[in-house]
Formats: sequence, C-alpha cells, structure tokens
Amino acid sequence: MKKHPVSLTVNTDTYDLLIEPRKTLLATLRDTIGLTGTKEGCSTGDCGACTVIVDGKAVTSCMMLGVSANGKEITTVEGLASRDQLHPIQQAFMDKGGYQCGFCTPGFIVASKAFLDENPNATEAEIRHALGNNICRCTGYTKIIEAVMSAAEVMRNS
Amino acid sequence: MPRIFREVITLRNFEFFEPTTIEDASNLLTQYNGKAKLLAGGTDLIIEMKARTATPEYVISLENIPGLVGIDYDEATGLRIGALTKMRTLEQDPTIRERYTALAEGAGEVGGVQIRHLATVGGNISHGSPAADTAAPLLALGAQVNIASADGERTVPIESFFLGPGQTVLETGEIVTGFECPPRGANEGSQYIKQKIREVMDLAFVGVASSAKTDNGAVSDVKIGLAAVAPTPLRATDAEAIVNGNSLTAELLEQAGTAASAQSSPISDLRCSAEHRREIVGVLTRRTLQAAADRAQG
Amino acid sequence: MSEYAVLGKRVTRVDALEKVTGAAQYGGDVHLPGMLHGKFVRSAHPHAKILNIDTSEAEKLPGVRAIVTQDDVESGRRVFATDKVLYLGEPIAAVAATDPDIAEEAADLIKIDYEVLPAVQDVMEAIEPDAPRLHSDDTKDSPARRAITAELRKLERDKSPADHSARIAELNTQLEATEDDVYYNISAETHSAAGDVEQGFAESDLVVEDTYVIPRVHQTYMEPHVSVADVESTGKVTVWASTQGPFAIRSGIAGTLGIPLNQINVVATTMGGGFGGRFGVALTHVPAVLLSQKTGRPVKIQMTREEEFTDGRPAPGCVIKLKTGVKNDGTILAREGLAFWDSGSVSGASIGSTIRLRGVYKFPHLKVDAYGVYTNKSGTAAYRAPGTPQVAFAGESQLDDIARKLDLDPVEFRLKNMRVEGDPVPAGPNEPKVGYKETLQAVADAVDWKNRTKGPNQGWGVAIGDWTNGCGPGGMFVSIHEDGSARIFHGSMDITGTDTALAQIVAEILTLSYEEVAITRGDTDSAPYATGSGGSVVTFTMGNTAKLAAEDTRRRLLELAAERLNTDVESLELKDGKVSTIEADPPKSIGFGELAAYSLSTTGGPIVGKGSFARKPSTPALAAQIAKVEIDPDTGRIKVLKMAASQDVGFAINPMAVEGQIEGGAVQGYAWATMEEMQYNEEGNVNPGFVDYRVPTTADLPTVESVIVEVEAPDGPFGAKGVGEPPITPTLATMANAVADAVGIRITELPMKPEKVVDALHGNGK
Repeated sequence: MKKHPVSLTVNTDTYDLLIEPRKTLLATLRDTIGLTGTKEGCSTGDCGACTVIVDGKAVTSCMMLGVSANGKEITTVEGLASRDQLHPIQQAFMDKGGYQCGFCTPGFIVASKAFLDENPNATEAEIRHALGNNICRCTGYTKIIEAVMSAAEVMRNS
Repeated sequence: MPRIFREVITLRNFEFFEPTTIEDASNLLTQYNGKAKLLAGGTDLIIEMKARTATPEYVISLENIPGLVGIDYDEATGLRIGALTKMRTLEQDPTIRERYTALAEGAGEVGGVQIRHLATVGGNISHGSPAADTAAPLLALGAQVNIASADGERTVPIESFFLGPGQTVLETGEIVTGFECPPRGANEGSQYIKQKIREVMDLAFVGVASSAKTDNGAVSDVKIGLAAVAPTPLRATDAEAIVNGNSLTAELLEQAGTAASAQSSPISDLRCSAEHRREIVGVLTRRTLQAAADRAQG
Repeated sequence: MSEYAVLGKRVTRVDALEKVTGAAQYGGDVHLPGMLHGKFVRSAHPHAKILNIDTSEAEKLPGVRAIVTQDDVESGRRVFATDKVLYLGEPIAAVAATDPDIAEEAADLIKIDYEVLPAVQDVMEAIEPDAPRLHSDDTKDSPARRAITAELRKLERDKSPADHSARIAELNTQLEATEDDVYYNISAETHSAAGDVEQGFAESDLVVEDTYVIPRVHQTYMEPHVSVADVESTGKVTVWASTQGPFAIRSGIAGTLGIPLNQINVVATTMGGGFGGRFGVALTHVPAVLLSQKTGRPVKIQMTREEEFTDGRPAPGCVIKLKTGVKNDGTILAREGLAFWDSGSVSGASIGSTIRLRGVYKFPHLKVDAYGVYTNKSGTAAYRAPGTPQVAFAGESQLDDIARKLDLDPVEFRLKNMRVEGDPVPAGPNEPKVGYKETLQAVADAVDWKNRTKGPNQGWGVAIGDWTNGCGPGGMFVSIHEDGSARIFHGSMDITGTDTALAQIVAEILTLSYEEVAITRGDTDSAPYATGSGGSVVTFTMGNTAKLAAEDTRRRLLELAAERLNTDVESLELKDGKVSTIEADPPKSIGFGELAAYSLSTTGGPIVGKGSFARKPSTPALAAQIAKVEIDPDTGRIKVLKMAASQDVGFAINPMAVEGQIEGGAVQGYAWATMEEMQYNEEGNVNPGFVDYRVPTTADLPTVESVIVEVEAPDGPFGAKGVGEPPITPTLATMANAVADAVGIRITELPMKPEKVVDALHGNGK
C-alpha cells in the first residue's frame, strides 16, 4: 500500500516520515520514532495509557492514525520536562506517590497537563471527571488526584 | 460464532485519501462502493478495523474538507453544527450548554475527554448505533440532518435518518455534513440522562433526552428521544402526547414513563436485560421531562 | 516512630524519576535488532477435540520463520493444546514472522479441524452428573459419603460372626440419600474442622444460612503480558519478561524445555502491575523461547488486552454455602461453609483460602469444605490475597445480617467475638500478638462511627478481612563505595515501592541518608536468588534480608575502623555515615569512604555485606473498612460517599507507599463488588475488553481515607508486616453491607450492578 509523507512535530523535534496509513499515531511514536514513554494498555481508547497532546488537546493516540497527525504538534511524556526541571505535574506525582507500577503514569501526567493548561482553577470534582479516560489499577486514584491538585496549585502560583 | 484472535494494534492495509471537497469525497465513496469507509474522528472506525469487523480497502478522511467544523447560532434560523465538530466542543460550547443543554450533556457522555477530543457528532450519528449518546438529544431537539453528495444536498429529519443497527438512510456517495436545530427560547429546556455503571467511559444501557417548552405551568412542544432501547434511536411519541399541553404532575409523569417504556423494544444482552432497560426508560423519561420543564422555567 | 532517621518517613520512591518521565523500560519497550514477532493460533471453541492441525499454508507465507506446537515441547508439559481444547482462546500453536501482521496472517492460515464438544461454564452445573467432563478421574464423594463407604467396606470385609446386615442396609440408605453429595469435574478439595458444628448450631439461638456467588474477575494489570526471547547459537537463552517472579520463570522455562538453569537469564523488565497474575511461565515466555530456539532470532510476543481476558489467569469465582449460629447475646458459636471454586480448565484455584471463613473470630465450632471445579475457562491464578475477598464477602455479609437481626451494632458485635493474643484459632495454632480489635476500632474512630448519620437511601457498611503475608528465600549484597555511599544488589521485583523500603532499611542501619543508598535489581544471571513478588512477601522477606546484609556491612565497617583507629570494635559505633568512638575523648571517627578505600588494600578485600534468609514466622494482619453509600432506588446505581480503610501494617516503613497499597486495594475491592465480572456464555468469555469489563475510573469514587495501624510483627523487619494484599479483602462485604443498610436488601451475588440492585428492591433479586 502507498505510504504517505507525514511531517509532524513531536516535543521539540520535527519528523519527516513516510508511513503506512494503517499505523496509528501510537505505533508511529513508539515504533517509528522510538519514543516508548507513551504506553499501549488496551488499544481501544479505553485506558488512556497512550494519551498524548495533539495541538493542545489530549487524545488517545491508539485511536488516531499517524497520517492524521500530519502537520500537527504532538507532546508526549518525554517532552514535559526541561533539561534541568521536571514539569510541576511530574514533580507532584513523585512527591505525592501518585503512581505505583508506573505503566499508566505517562498517560495520566499528559492528560492532566492538557486539562490543567485549559482549566487552571479546576476543582477536585472536575479533575476526577476529566481524568476518567485514564485507568490506573494500582493507586485507587487517591494519590493521583492529590498530585494533580497540588500541581495545579504550583502551576497557578508560577 | 468462532472468534479469531488478533493483535489489535494493527490495522489491515488500506489506501488513504484526503479529499478537499465533498464532491471528491463523494465520488471516491461511489467509486469504491462497499470497500470504502469515511474517517471522521476515528473512534468507532479504528476500533472496528482493529477488531476486523470493518476491513475497508479505502479510507477517506474528511478532515481536509473545509466548512465541516463549527457551531453557528442565529435567533431566527437556529443552530447549525458541522458534522466534524468534536464532542468536546459541543460539550463546552456556551450556546449549546444554555439552549440545547441535552446535546451538551449527550456529547459529554461520550467516552472520556481524550475520546471526545477525537469523536465527532457526524460520526456518532452516521455510525447508526442505537446507543449513540447524541442521538436522543438530537431527536429531542428536533434536529435535521444535512446530507450531501456529488449529486447535491438533502435534509432529512433525524427521526427518519436511522433504519436499523448500523443502518441509515445514507445512499451510496452520501455524507452527513451537519445538523440543524430550530431556534430555542428562554422558556425551553432539555436534559439527557444515560443509565450506566461507571460515571464516565460507559456505553449507554439506556439513554433518554427530553425537551419541553413551558407556558403558564403547562408544557408544550415536548419531544423525547430514546437510545439503546430499540433497533434505532427513536422518539417516544406516545409519552409526548400524554404530557403535551398539560402541567407535569407525578401521575402524568408516571403515565408518560409507562408509555415510553411501552414504545421501546429493547433486547437483552450482556449489559442488562430487556426488562431492566424498559423499566429504566420509564424512570429516565420521568426525570428528564421534569428537568426539561424545570430548566425551561429557569 | 521518631527513633528512626529514615524509616517511617514519606520518602520519594527510588524509581520515581524514571516513571514520571516515561523512561522506565517495560517489556513492550524492548526491541532487539532482527527481532521477529510471535502470534498465537487460539482455539475457536470452549471445548472441542482437535482432529488435525494443518500448518502447510502458513509455512508458505513469505516472512514466516517458524511455527511451534505442543510437538515441540519435549517435556510434555502443556504449553499448547493437543488432543483437546478446554477453553475459548486456548493456544494451539504459535507463529514467528518478520512482522506482526505477517505472523497474524499466518496464524489465520493454520487450519484446525475440531470436533466440537458440549462445554460447561457454570461451576454449579459442572458438579452435576450430566455435566460435560473436562478431565477423567474427577469424581469426588463428600467426606460424609466417604465415611459411609469406608464403614460399609469395613463391615463387608468383616469375617466375624456378627450380623451387620441391618447396619449395612442403613448405610446403603444413607448413600442413596446423599447422592447429591457426589461431585463431578472436581480438580481439588480441602476440608477442615474444629469442635462439632452440629452441636454448635443446636446451642445457637439464631442460625442464618445463605448462598453467596462471587464472579471471576481479572487482575487487570495495565501492562499486558510480554516476552522477548533471544537464544544464542550456544543455546544460551535470555528472556526479557514482565513477571513477578524472574527466578520462578527461570525454573519454569528450564523445566519445560530441558535447559540447564545456568543457560537461562531472565531479565525482568519494569512491571506494569501484577496483583498475582504475572507468575505464569507458559503464557508468553515459553512460546517465545521455543520460537527463538527454532529461528535463532529474537522473538517478541505481546498479548493484547483481548488475549489477557481470554487467556490470562484471572481470579476464580466461587459459590459459597454458609451457615452461622449465634447466641442472642451476640456470641458466635458455629459456622459451616461449603465452597465450590471455579478453577477453569486446570487445577489451581485458591481453594485453600476457604478456611478464612473463620475470620478472626472465636468460632468454637467450625467446618469448612471446599472443592475446585473444572469448567471450560482459562485456568486461574492469584489475585491479591487469593481467595480471601471471596470468602470474606460471604462471612462478613452473613455476620452483618446477624447483627441486624439481633439489633447489635455491627462494629461492637465484631469486636465482641474477635480473637486476641493466645486465643485458639479454629483449625489452627493459637493467635500470636495481633491487632484485630485495634484495627477495627481505628476505622470506626476515623469515621466517628458512633455518631454516624445518614439521609434517605444512604447507608453505612463495615467489614473486615484478614491475611497473613508469606515469606520466602532471598539473598542480597550491600557494598560501600570509596565515597562512602552504598549500593544494594538484589533480584526481587518491585511494583509497590519495595526497593524504596529496602533502601530505607539499609540507610537506617548504616546511618546513611536515604539518598546515599542506591539500589540495583539484577537479572537472574547477576542477582542472588529472590522469592517472587507475591503474597505480600517482599518487604517482609527482603526487608529481613536487607537488615542482615546491612548488619553484615556494619560488622565489616566496624572491623576496618577498629583496625584504622587502633581500638576494638566494641568501643565503636556508626553515626552519620562515619564510624566513631562511643566514649573516647577526644572523639575519633573515620568516614565510610575512607574505610572503603582502605578496604581495597586489606586482606579482607572490599566491603560487601551479605544477607541471606529463607523463613521466619509471619503475623496475621487485619484490614477493616467502612463505606457510606447512597442508592438511587429507581436506577439502582450505587454512589460511594465515603470510604475509610484501616490496616494493621506492623510498622509502616514508608507511610506514603503503605497508604497507596491500602487505597489501591480498597478500590479494587469496590470494583469487584459493584462492576467487575468476567461474563461467559456457552461460547466462552463475552466481555474481553474494557468496554464491558469495567474497572473504575477517577470519577467513580471519592478519596479513600487510609488509616495506618501499627501492631508490631515480632519477626518482621522493624516490626513490619506484608501490606499489599489485606486491603482488598474486606471491601466486597463492606459495599454489600452498606447497600443493605441503605435500602434494606441483602445482595448475595456480585457484582451489584444497577439491574441487580433494582431487582433486589423489587423483591425478585438473588
């Protein structure tokens, strides 16, 4: 089948790729570009482990074709921290113990970032509702919500 | 039926088109009739392709066609929604939240935030699922479906759009381009509720949307949409007739609920029994009717 | 615990940075040059004879490199089905190809001819005489029938002149009367008793009897199973595996494929959750090795979420018939339980936990019988306190009904009957030092139980669950670097923060800061043996090992320092990363770094402390939970308004990690109670995905309030008990009891989906 030229920006880098249309954005990020921080937990859009930000909006990358990302800006978990500083959400997940096995963590952190960027004053109820596209099986969510709430405060104050 | 197990991450190979006009998209659909699928948000199509319940040889993306995204409201002509408008946009749009509340609620019930950033209202309706979360609200809000093809355009009321599970009135080459709803005044209200187990990320066991206008305590122009309780989304017309022109009393609501249940024809499946669905239709009809009237009165 | 500098502190986990940045490498992230991809051919029927396997078409497909079946397994251990498939999705063959799509296409081209057999999916249907049978030799008489038969045989053989005909007739009548007590498709059984239950029930004022049905649920770890196997030309096998037990995997592969242990290296990757479900060898590890052996290339096999549901090893469902007798004053006298556990197609369901029907109460009379039952489903495995959430659901639901019937406060009723240190445990040894009452009281206090209030359709539920952590073998080294920092080497898998606890223990003993202790988890080639990470063993076992290794390191540091400071070991102590004189004036001290550098030129050599350890008695732990719920009586939906969970953890080495365990376990229990259920029809599992197998999200319940109780475990490291498993044990009953309190209905069959609640409210529920 015909491959399609796709140009996309992932974190700070631009990639000019030739990809089969059947490759999802998740497969493109993991297999073609080699950024494996974004995880595949279910492949049906239900668990959120594959969440990335496309043009400012969090999406499940397993539900999007790589060719549909042409010309778009993607942020993955690898793109959140700067060389010398973690993103406040990453820092809060560390400090509050917002993870255990860690497999869902990139998806949770990325989804939280996109949501807090748009809703810096979100309440706990709003955060709980907004993060419902992500499944964590270890934490029972208590410490995840604590981490996101505390990160939101840090982000508001900076 | 024997099931075949596959790694769902991969899709069967297909040829990918990104037409920039409806005409081109329509012509491609006609040319590859039966072998082509339209791609809007992808949240239904990609799942089906992974599960191999859809194996299109050609996939036609609508994303590059201008004019398919957006929400316009005009006091005289009402609401127009482009088919590729995302669920998340509908859910958050101030006009829709205020005047077409049931639709904002229905859109907000689709999957989770990430899914709603991808899923489109046109995809939700075109897919023909009896359980589509925007179907009952659009029924209650009197929506018309705009359909276009290389041969021209037509508009059908949403009541006559659905033919059966996965089946719609769309002919070869036809594409849903948008939806229109009549203008709504301050004395009109609506609500959508779905029966589910989880708070978010659940498919509707039952979905009910009601819309009503209030005048001096009586409700009028009542429309009730039901989802997941018949081969297609449908209007609960018997229940509407019971409450139209009357003040909502507990007794009347009970009657309306019973009538809506009777008009539904649900199935039993792994999610729940037909009896449960029928009972919940009654409960949610009562609740959404009351809420629609309450919201209409502000 | 202020006497400690590092222990008992909320330190950031050692793996925090790699996990929040996406750098942690899980099994699926392993990619080797030239790697092939493996796919399974799976059974299309839940029960069928395999008449023929034809791989010829698949072999011709370009890109296919190897196909393996059970014929390739020389030991004969079942990796693939051969004569008969026993469940939908059972592997029959595996294919390796250059691309996953080609492997998949090849798998489709393998033609299997079946003779379809009738299948049985329901545990109570499976024990009936007319049920389809999965295996031969699977018929079991109940113990009572066995006693009758034994007496009959004895009488029939009796050569004495005594006339037994009347007794023989009587026994034969009894045999006929108990024909229902012959069970079929039985995979295993266990029986225990204390006292005389018949007497206990006779002395009781109130006897309550019910049947409880608990569904099969999946551990639903977020990372599906994955292995990458690489067999070198020398035959050396390396397997990158997501597993809770790398050493168990190593012996499993060795035993199945006849490979010496020193020719297998298992590199356990960061694990995306396990909960007991990630010990299996045959799911992906052995097939990947077989395919790599056959092709000489690395092979990756990754299960999909759908495959996890059809061919994972979930927790068994069960049916428990339970009867409890009490006096009117609330004194519990007797309990009799009969459980049938749905083992799936192989033996192995956690039927041993049925004895936990005794709870932590003083049952003078107890009788527990349990059977594992074959059905046409995948086999089962452990899931967090295996078997105990199920039995605690039955036991604690029934006690709640009794409290209501006797108008007793459910907390007081439980406290009154709880065992304390020295009390006899029915069918077990006497209680050691335990904290049962403290733990229940702590959660009651946390919610101000005595002053609780509720609105319409709201209710409070309380329940408890007990569990004793396991203990296994483990070894560890601690070395001191020339700058005075330390490093731990070990081989035990960390999911929950155990590596952090080990670093804390070593830091505490060596008087180092937490940051000065680094930890390396080796593969099975480089690390000393460690027991698998299941059964809440790691902190208990490896914590004790770490203590020994750190103490050994301390000994060597003291010896070296004594040499350098010209004094004796007894006059020295460790303080702030130095060895100092205890009383000398002026004080003399020498840093660990200097000692480490010095050690390199000594006859004793570098500082390497060793800890090795296998078994110590562990102490039972209790988890107690209280939930407040609100029921929508029309829709049947249950909303949790409050959830509080206490647990006796002995000593919380890292309270943040401990709370995480309590919160996570309680939410898994909530899910089992309200939404999770693997559903089957005659064709097999019908909900193999997250759409219809629902696990809760952030939106479903509020913050879990965790309450840590610390009643020291005499043999635990610094008093710590295993923490991971107990918190899931009470929640099923907690939720059911809260629903009962809210709307006055007792639901005995889980999960309490809305339809079940509505039906129960209509009076036609189960």
